[in-house]
Amino acid sequence: MTIAATDNAPDRAAVKLSVKHLTHHFGVFKALADVSLDIRPREFVCILGASGCGKSTLFNAVSGLLKVGSGHILLDGRDIAGKPGEVGYMLQKDLLLPWRTVLGNITLGASLTRGATNDDRAQAADLAVHYGLGDFLNHFPHALSGGMRQRVALMRTIAAGRDLMLLDEPFGALDSQTRIGMQQWLLQIWRELNRTVMFVTHDVDEAIFLGDRVVIMLPKPGRIGSILHVELPRPRAMDCLTSPAFVETKRRIMEMLYSQATLHGVPGPGLQVPA
Amino acid sequence: MLLWVVAIALIFVAWQVLLKLTGIPAYVIPSPGAALAQIHDNAELMRELTWQTVSETFYGYIVGAVVGFLLAVLMAQMPIVHRLLYPALITSQAVPIVAIAAPLVIVFGFGLTPKLIIVAWIVFFPVVVNVLDGLASVDQDQVNLARLLGGTRLRTFLIVRLPACIGPLFSGLKIGASYAVTGAVIGEWTASSRIGLGTFLLSANAQMNTAGVYGAMLLLTAIGIGSFLLVLVAEHFATPWRTRMTAPAWFGRRVTPSAPPPDPPAREGLK
Repeated sequence: MTIAATDNAPDRAAVKLSVKHLTHHFGVFKALADVSLDIRPREFVCILGASGCGKSTLFNAVSGLLKVGSGHILLDGRDIAGKPGEVGYMLQKDLLLPWRTVLGNITLGASLTRGATNDDRAQAADLAVHYGLGDFLNHFPHALSGGMRQRVALMRTIAAGRDLMLLDEPFGALDSQTRIGMQQWLLQIWRELNRTVMFVTHDVDEAIFLGDRVVIMLPKPGRIGSILHVELPRPRAMDCLTSPAFVETKRRIMEMLYSQATLHGVPGPGLQVPA
Repeated sequence: MLLWVVAIALIFVAWQVLLKLTGIPAYVIPSPGAALAQIHDNAELMRELTWQTVSETFYGYIVGAVVGFLLAVLMAQMPIVHRLLYPALITSQAVPIVAIAAPLVIVFGFGLTPKLIIVAWIVFFPVVVNVLDGLASVDQDQVNLARLLGGTRLRTFLIVRLPACIGPLFSGLKIGASYAVTGAVIGEWTASSRIGLGTFLLSANAQMNTAGVYGAMLLLTAIGIGSFLLVLVAEHFATPWRTRMTAPAWFGRRVTPSAPPPDPPAREGLK
């Protein structure tokens, strides 16, 4: 088990998303303070933090929904700040359209941009069949369980065909058994489809189980407190949740989160804040 | 459906019992049997009258619903139109409908047009108000999602916003359906060259033909209930996701996937 406190300068050529010196205020409230982060292609990065630490602000900034005060967001070297439609996006709310079938919801991206073709539908159907939704293609969303609805929402995100997917607590509303199943399912998809994932969560276990790196964000003002490499071998199965390496990582993360909570904005001992 | 039959039968029974108990003479309130007999005995005339009133109601209703819907869409898209038109809409409903009828006759004469306008006048209002509410209450996250998927303005409107107001639209259509026949009757009273149930009701009243008055009233009621039920049926078919687990064959494109799951390399197009 090795933990690198900060690692913010990977090889330039191998950067999918580069967030540089992002600062944003809501009125007098500083939601993001000089946040910088690079994500490599096919990397799975978890953004972990309590509410109010700016993780959703960061998420909205990268998605293009929020125009940030200052800083740059580069996707494959292009500035995408304030430009929606460049990255995939999924929330805790599945946002499925009740009047569209599962298939219609998966092909929503195509329908909204140029009209879904038979090819789009065939591809979406293959994707859905491969990932266990084959029996539900013609179902309306209300007929599905919460877990199934989130699967459809993720399929919709994947079918939109963006390299980088932003997932904001996508499993936050699910019960813990369903959530563990969904996490493994997500890892399978990520492995097979070669996407880059930025995953926002406040669940420490989830962040460690899924991520290559865990970015710990701290509140007041929202900033990156630390970045941990998760050195757990992949593919990860259930048993890794109880392995010593997992527990050790969790202990380190808890320490950082709690030292922060007690010290009100002053970094705890042993914590390095990136300049 | 059975409940409807039972409910209507109960009204007839109560009507009959009330007459028996109070001893009100038939020239004041006829028995339901006498009213129905009046319809039956003059079947030919009643069919013509009913047809006339139904067509006024129907065409006026369609005009009102279409105008109401288009107005709502326009107002939702252009805030300036919304601000200018909303007071006018309220005003339009504040004017007593009978007062509108007279000037309409002066302008359009005694044909079908003034009657259509009166029916449409009554029908369009609940449609505008409900559709406007529906369009205003679309989930903002849903709209954001459409933006993030790169949706064009028009397609986002058609795929995300418009279907979201189908529920409110049908609420407005149902209210309109039960009022439309009232509009047709008022139209006939003020602007009729061809007689319908409304005009017949007036003349039967003048002739002390109480059974005729009640017969016409029953038929008008039937038109009102029929329109309402038709809208319910239309709603049922227009919104299959409310009542069904899966999409019916006539709803959009169904897909039957080729049976075995494809091997992973088959999905290259999705990367």
